[in-house]
Amino acid sequence: MSHTFNIIAKQQPAMLERVLRVVRHRGFNLQSLNVADCTESGNVEIELTVSGVRPIETLQKQLDKLYDIAHLELTSAADAVAIRA
Amino acid sequence: MTGAQLVLKVLQQHGIKHVFGYPGGAIMPIYDALYDSEVEHFLCRHEQGAAFSAVGYARSTNSVGVCMATSGPGATNLVTGLGDALLDSIPVVAITGQVFSSLMGTDAFQEMDVLGMSLAVTKHSFVVEDISELASTLHQAFELAQSGRPGPVLVDIPKDIQVGAVDFEPYPIPEKQIPVFEPDLVEQAKALIAAAKKPIFYVGGGVGMADSIEQLNALLDYTQIPAAATLKGLGTIDPSYPHYIGFMGMHGSKATNMAVQECDLLICTGARFDDRVTGKLDTFAPNAKVIHLDIDKAEFGKLRQPDVAIRGDFRELLPALAVKTDIAQWQAKCSALKTEHAWRYDAPGEGIYAPALLNQLSSKLPHDHVVSCDVGQHQMWVAQHMQFTSPRNHLTSGGAGTMGFGLPAAIGAQIARPDTMSVVVSGDGSFMMNVQELGTIKRFRLPIKIVLIDNQRLGMVKQWQELFFEERYSETNLSDNPDFLTLAKAFDIPSKTIHSKFDVEAGIDALINTDGPFLLHVAIDEKENVWPLVAPGKANHEMIEG
Ligand SMILES: Cc1ncc(C[n+]2csc(CCOP(=O)(O)OP(=O)(O)O)c2C)c(N)n1
Repeated sequence: MSHTFNIIAKQQPAMLERVLRVVRHRGFNLQSLNVADCTESGNVEIELTVSGVRPIETLQKQLDKLYDIAHLELTSAADAVAIRA
Repeated sequence: MTGAQLVLKVLQQHGIKHVFGYPGGAIMPIYDALYDSEVEHFLCRHEQGAAFSAVGYARSTNSVGVCMATSGPGATNLVTGLGDALLDSIPVVAITGQVFSSLMGTDAFQEMDVLGMSLAVTKHSFVVEDISELASTLHQAFELAQSGRPGPVLVDIPKDIQVGAVDFEPYPIPEKQIPVFEPDLVEQAKALIAAAKKPIFYVGGGVGMADSIEQLNALLDYTQIPAAATLKGLGTIDPSYPHYIGFMGMHGSKATNMAVQECDLLICTGARFDDRVTGKLDTFAPNAKVIHLDIDKAEFGKLRQPDVAIRGDFRELLPALAVKTDIAQWQAKCSALKTEHAWRYDAPGEGIYAPALLNQLSSKLPHDHVVSCDVGQHQMWVAQHMQFTSPRNHLTSGGAGTMGFGLPAAIGAQIARPDTMSVVVSGDGSFMMNVQELGTIKRFRLPIKIVLIDNQRLGMVKQWQELFFEERYSETNLSDNPDFLTLAKAFDIPSKTIHSKFDVEAGIDALINTDGPFLLHVAIDEKENVWPLVAPGKANHEMIEG
């Protein structure tokens, strides 16, 4: 089952590596990744689609803990929930 | 001032008086600034020693520990200590020197991608790219290490930033942000507690880390609910609490595990359903509803689905949960289990029974003392047979189980709490993993008391080979150990070997009463195992007893 997150993150060194590392380490596969740099705000918009058998909330909560992530939204699941970092 | 001087000023702003580290090329400007700084630096003999000393410093005081190292191999040597701090949620700030920014990415001498390497072993990490961001980055590092669920944070500082010029600005330490919990959830939790017939508190390290030991004990007092502790939770529950059952998990007491398996409500308080606690997860406390209390919401439902989960500051959350209970039968059941499965120390023979020695040591130590242990059988014996009055007094590598933790962590504790007796309990395998730190003891004349439990084996691995690998003892024989007394002597540490149970009392007295450091070398039978035990993959009620 695949899930899509919309993320707004701070443009920081290794931010993207950190996100991808958490995805892999917590047991999910990357399906697609779209990154748009919004230079003026210093933020980056990320659309991240992952698949995996574990409950997606477990990944959502781990990603939400990342310091560089300002906003995280799970868009594809039926009961999409938005969490503010 | 220079960036290097600014680093030390920021440390002082955060109240840091002591740091642990090891110098090298890329961090030399900071070491030069240390030369006339009020921040006192303790030279360890390996960066892993520095990292563990920072961990011991942090754990024994519930504050932040600081370590530093040079680029490349200096930084890689910190990694194990940071990983250990991550798995036990310990606030540590690591500062690493990096090569000049212009040389980063060119495979320069001692240049490694420390930021990349740090990702899996820290809560967060930074590389400073501009000197104007140096102070704010360090402030963020201190804030992050200590806020929410604590953890290690690394700041990598290129050399050009250390030597650059910068102005120092005062920095108001921000007020801690306290998460607010939902009153509805508290009401639901209270209803579950009030309705439960067999409730149990499952107390982890989070209670001590949240500085809420008092609140937890007040809650226990009010509710009179039986309580069990994890490895990191030991020392949290007042030992005189009549319904304290004991240590839970793989090597916990049988009474505790049986009670937890039978409970109908598990109140998990600052703990995380670690596999060493739960045994086979789907058989753990199978009939229990679960209330999960933590500061980290990512723990909710990670392994066990809670019925009610509340994220909050325990100092406010725990008092809000006070409910009267009516569970006399259950209390009696737990007490009976505790009596039935009480520890016994009447081992046959003349040899030294390590659990008995540790129990005796525990009763002879001054009321306030720190015990720092290594990893293996001796670590479990410490947890089972020594008593602690605070989790700050029991330093043990829980999540990572890192051999080599004990000696440097005790050094950190001794420096943080110079008036408190600091005791290391180590094994002959673990001791050799950071044995170079005896040099740190010698240099600073630290009065650390070392109990070296020598079974001439990698005992815990040997025990598993015996039980689960058909007694095929692959690479666990250490009968060619060095002469530990000669080793101690080389570092000016007086020592003594004991072999017989009749020497135990004199040995402990020599350890405690000799001024300064001491090494008590305790020779035990290699056949001794840790009991009881939950075999890997088994349920906790299937505990086996020797
Ligand atoms: C750094 C590290 N390497 C390997 C292990 C695996 N391990 C766990 S316990 C143990 C044996 C420890 O032996 P010793 O320190 O003598 O203690 P004992 O079990 O004999 O009390 C080993 C090798 C570990 N925990 N940490």
